[in-house]
Amino acid sequence: MSERTDRRTVDGDDPDSGTDTYQWQVAQRHYEPDGQRELTTTIVYTIAEAEGVSPCEVKSPPLYESVDVPAIENAFFGPDISDESRQGVGTVEFQYADYLVKVRSDGWVQVYEPSERA
Amino acid sequence: MGGDSDSGEKARSDASAPPDKQLPPRDILDIEPVYEALGHSRRRYLCYTLLEDTEWSLTDLATKIAAWENDVPDHATTEAQREAVYVSLYHAHVPKLVDEGVVAFDDATETITTAEHTEQVLSALRGIGASLDSDQEHHARGDR
Repeated sequence: MSERTDRRTVDGDDPDSGTDTYQWQVAQRHYEPDGQRELTTTIVYTIAEAEGVSPCEVKSPPLYESVDVPAIENAFFGPDISDESRQGVGTVEFQYADYLVKVRSDGWVQVYEPSERA
Repeated sequence: MGGDSDSGEKARSDASAPPDKQLPPRDILDIEPVYEALGHSRRRYLCYTLLEDTEWSLTDLATKIAAWENDVPDHATTEAQREAVYVSLYHAHVPKLVDEGVVAFDDATETITTAEHTEQVLSALRGIGASLDSDQEHHARGDR
């Protein structure tokens, strides 16, 4: 339990301020809930940017196998119910290939890589 | 009263019957894939295209869906539009449909074909297609 409080996570206004010492942020994009692009697409585009490849080349594995993206979408960006917002506040992190991906409730999708590769 | 206790006995013995005797028939339970498949516009559209042809390359599908979403002919879609749809199909919707047994996907050739639950979804689409989504179906049947 104390491990959890010791661990530094990214929150607050400056996306670069709280990165874990062993991770470097290499790419970030902003997800627009009302836009045509799905959250899955924004995440894959951010990973592609981190890898320096085209989004169609991000292939292994499908994001579907790593994380339940519609669940994040509902929790952070879901519709209001009876004019009350049910949107959660926070960050979801998951691993994809060598990367750590963070999806923040303010819409920022950030990709980190291990520091030895930076 | 004696009769009541008899029927109570009977209910109990029914309750301990093998599960497959209590559950609704399997084909009714299997309506789940229909809802899951049709619960998102891109998956719905993908299923519509299966009415037209039962085998699709992922690239061709992405082009058709991009054309439909942007309301332009296939050849007028932009690279960026096709790419965004391709990525969402590959990373979200196709694996979801594979999970539900609605399509099969060959990783090597990136080809989508039918699977065990395709027919259920298509017959549901045939039923609602005419009234609710005739535009989508018309699009999917695809005159360019």
